[in-house]
Amino acid sequence: MDINPWLAQQQLVVCVGSGGVGKTTTAAAIALQGAMSGRKTIVLTIDPARRLANSLGLSSIGNEAHKISLEGDSESAGELWAMMLDARHTWDALIDRLAKDPEIKQRILSNRIYRYVATSLAGSQEYMATERLHDIARSGLYDLIVLDTPPLKNALDFLESPGRLIHFFDERILKWFLSPYRRGRWGRRLMFGPTAIVWRLLGSIFGREFLEDLAQFFQDFTGLYKGFVQRHDAVVALFQDPGTAFVTVCAPNETSLEVARFFETEFQRRELGQGGVIINQLHQCEGESHDARAFLGELVEESSATPSLQASVLARLGMAHRRMRQRALAERRLCEQIKNTPAGRGFFQIVARSDQQVHDLKGLAWVANEIFEKSAQNRG
Amino acid sequence: MMVTGKGGTGKTTFSAAMGLVSAATGLNTVVCEIDTQRSALAPIFDCKVEYQPLVVREKLALCNLTWREAFTTYLERSLPVTGLVRRILENEVVNRFLDFTPGSRELVILSRIAQLCESYDRVIVDMPASGHMLSLLGVTRSLQQLFRAGPVRKRVDEILSLLLAETSSVAFVALPEEMVVNETLETMEQLQNRELAGCSPFVFLNRATLPSLTTDEARLMEWLGSQSLGPDAGEFVRAGLWEKQLEEDTIESLARLNEAFERGAISVGTISSGQSHRNVVGEVAAALGRKVGVTKRDLAWT
Repeated sequence: MDINPWLAQQQLVVCVGSGGVGKTTTAAAIALQGAMSGRKTIVLTIDPARRLANSLGLSSIGNEAHKISLEGDSESAGELWAMMLDARHTWDALIDRLAKDPEIKQRILSNRIYRYVATSLAGSQEYMATERLHDIARSGLYDLIVLDTPPLKNALDFLESPGRLIHFFDERILKWFLSPYRRGRWGRRLMFGPTAIVWRLLGSIFGREFLEDLAQFFQDFTGLYKGFVQRHDAVVALFQDPGTAFVTVCAPNETSLEVARFFETEFQRRELGQGGVIINQLHQCEGESHDARAFLGELVEESSATPSLQASVLARLGMAHRRMRQRALAERRLCEQIKNTPAGRGFFQIVARSDQQVHDLKGLAWVANEIFEKSAQNRG
Repeated sequence: MMVTGKGGTGKTTFSAAMGLVSAATGLNTVVCEIDTQRSALAPIFDCKVEYQPLVVREKLALCNLTWREAFTTYLERSLPVTGLVRRILENEVVNRFLDFTPGSRELVILSRIAQLCESYDRVIVDMPASGHMLSLLGVTRSLQQLFRAGPVRKRVDEILSLLLAETSSVAFVALPEEMVVNETLETMEQLQNRELAGCSPFVFLNRATLPSLTTDEARLMEWLGSQSLGPDAGEFVRAGLWEKQLEEDTIESLARLNEAFERGAISVGTISSGQSHRNVVGEVAAALGRKVGVTKRDLAWT
């Protein structure tokens, strides 16, 4: 599959992979490519470590979309936007939209369990990312959305989390939870049967006060359940849309490639659109001879260096070349392995290791060129 | 010892290597992973890693802190009658509830770590990457706000006092790259601002290329780089300049880390490429061992 026509057809690209493989940079480079081909593009990151700003050469990106200026480019260029997702802000907006009764809304927003769920609950960030993503996709403001995800384990949470949250707010569960708190004839709180036993046990683990707070929280949330389900369905539909594809990003090392294989299998199992694989940071070294003098001897003699300095530098370069070659070969073997993985479908792009670290637009343009232009050249 | 760092810096490698060194010094050691679906330690030690610590060599055990099992342990500790634990866990509604109750996963995992600290001389935890480690430890502070009293509050207080004790520390694994150092410094600052660590953290600079080029050599290489070169000759110069760049990145990263970390950075050199993960762990262990007087023979890792 050719990556260029592929990208032109996508509305949403989700980048996954283990940490430290240049996922954020790759996501930003894909977005840049989209923008340069004339589309209005946004790149979103939900990574709590906030690295996107770094690789875009910005000091920070807020919860609002931020336009990145594509300095001095051709008229055909579209627009590039970037956004970092802030979980709590998004939660408040969601409650605001779902809760119709202002009193209930206020009670939820000030409930300490809600505050906790919105800010600190693991998986909350991922859930909210899907929420925000849904909003942005529906807004129709962008032609292309590129989403950066957190490393392995959490990226899976990210796929699972809408479902998990829905489970939590399942009406059956809520009913069970609220049942001991139905008021009896004399206004006393009554508890009966097996529910009451489990309830008491939970009370002895968590403390009565906490459970009562939780029950209140659930009670306020019951009316919101339908809204959650609808939004969840919409998010699932978005991920399964033909315009959505997942891209696995990895580096040429055992661990990262194993993670990539795992993702590829998961996508197939879940019937999610597979874009392909991008392998980053590949060292390249073609020459088999490590004899630096044979290739550089004459040139070195033209320099003003002393013979002993010349000799030591040539020896150094020979060793450096040997190490580079060793590394390049080992990496190429690993690449072949993943290319031949049965689960691996779609495009397969290799990005050479840059001599410079990528931390600005110029660097991103270089990466985008590696991913998109070089592959076109290779195909003639 | 809680090992963290940006993704891909070598957290698991360092956790395993520290485990080997620690065991070789005679300390009864356990290395833990946190709820991994596919164990990263298993291929290194060529064994299964499960919830119950498994002794893999003298003084060294491994375990995977899966949260469901950790929950059972937690309930057994909190409830007077152990027979009830199974009944509770069989209840589907309770399961769903536990699945999503604020902080329950984090709490039981931290609680299990605290429990392991009672029975081992040293507990080494292969923690999640920087930001996620902060969320995991941060749960203690959030739960303190959520529970003003009661059994959970008591447990949270116990865990926090363990985290803040002199005997607990966080170890960062960094690489000589600007973005990795940025993230390391940010995370360390957060750790201190949120009062989640007691004693000052350690930092390891992995894949460090310690300077060996003289100024004259570097200058000559640069001069070569400025000449027009054929593809073969170019490869030599590029490889040389690449290593020169690594040396410079290492110097800069070390300077920044040494300034921020009270203890200073401990650097570990690059391991030659194309080796199995098991061998890499051995090399890192040997490098760490040298710093504390543990020889390769003491490690007995082949």
